[in-house]
Amino acid sequence: MRDAAVKGLERAGHEVAVIDLAADEFDPVMSHTELIAYNTGQGVIPEGLEHYVAMLWEAKILVFVYPTYWSGMPAQLKGWLERVFVQGVAFKLNKNNKVRPAMQHVKHICVISTFGSPYMYVKFVNDNGRRIVTRALRVSTGLRTRVSRFGLYAMDTATHDDRQKFLLRIEKSMAKL
Amino acid sequence: MKVLVVSAHPSPTSFLSTTRDAVLIDLVQSGHDVRHRDLYAEHFNPVFSAFERTNHNEPIAIKTNVFPELVGHIEDLQWCEALVLVYPTWWSAQPAMLKGWFDRVLTRDVAWELPEGAARIRPLLSNVKRLVVVTSHGSSKLVNAVQGESGKRIALRSVRLMLHIRTKTRWIGVYGMDNANSEKRSASTARVRRQVKRALA
Repeated sequence: MRDAAVKGLERAGHEVAVIDLAADEFDPVMSHTELIAYNTGQGVIPEGLEHYVAMLWEAKILVFVYPTYWSGMPAQLKGWLERVFVQGVAFKLNKNNKVRPAMQHVKHICVISTFGSPYMYVKFVNDNGRRIVTRALRVSTGLRTRVSRFGLYAMDTATHDDRQKFLLRIEKSMAKL
Repeated sequence: MKVLVVSAHPSPTSFLSTTRDAVLIDLVQSGHDVRHRDLYAEHFNPVFSAFERTNHNEPIAIKTNVFPELVGHIEDLQWCEALVLVYPTWWSAQPAMLKGWFDRVLTRDVAWELPEGAARIRPLLSNVKRLVVVTSHGSSKLVNAVQGESGKRIALRSVRLMLHIRTKTRWIGVYGMDNANSEKRSASTARVRRQVKRALA
């Protein structure tokens, strides 16, 4: 799915940078020290994560690709949001200590995911992974930021054909961005 | 009642951790049989590995052979009658630490089964009849409503559906902690303690 998205985006002439958290062996656990920095400091980027922040600041389009577990994103991606999207990166506090957005440069957010369950079941429990990205995170972007989402449902019974079609759909839609 | 408390907060002295400690004492005093898993204290690894992904549909023993640390968590989960989750809400949901506990411990043959030919999973944790969630939010209730309270749905729908069909759930949310003074904090602790007691009575 990731490769299909990259192919589509490159076809549209975008410059694409890929972060592969599993390959990076990214540690998603926010430590006590980091939490203290998060709560007290301004723009405290945890050591070793600076390159992620640099990429984030450059990005006009954010594309999240992940399998959905327990109606949310895997812990590795959830932890990436927690550790990288800190104060001064994703949001800032105004003088009343209220959260204000800091990622207005992001114009488009895409969420691409697979689901073991069928569509109706996902509807019932709610697609919380997408909800985290398109609501919680979107609050930190510009007001007019657009959202696209792509889901392949009932993976447990999906055929090879279904998967191929889904990949093509991703590539085509990305090429239009 | 057999109660399993699973908590995930990096700081042992935070509002949430001290509230949890008080709740733990309350539970023992009320005569409950209590087990506690502090995921941060035991350095739980929340990353669902490639190995677990590849062997997702294989018998549980294959996974526990490679990751023996999961055995205790699985036993506790199958033992308890009430599950109490204690965590701070970050980006509208559970911290990666707890999300990873769901990802890795609620596996096939533990939380659910997928019978031959079925399109969707069937629940297995019918021993759990109460689900209590205690969570703190930095921002106000309004901001959390805008952000969608995804964690609430992950716990009370996605995870809840793996438990007993008549499981009673209780959501205990504390909001606006970013701007809370010590008075509000101790009032919140007292309220949480009361509500947990009532939920498990």
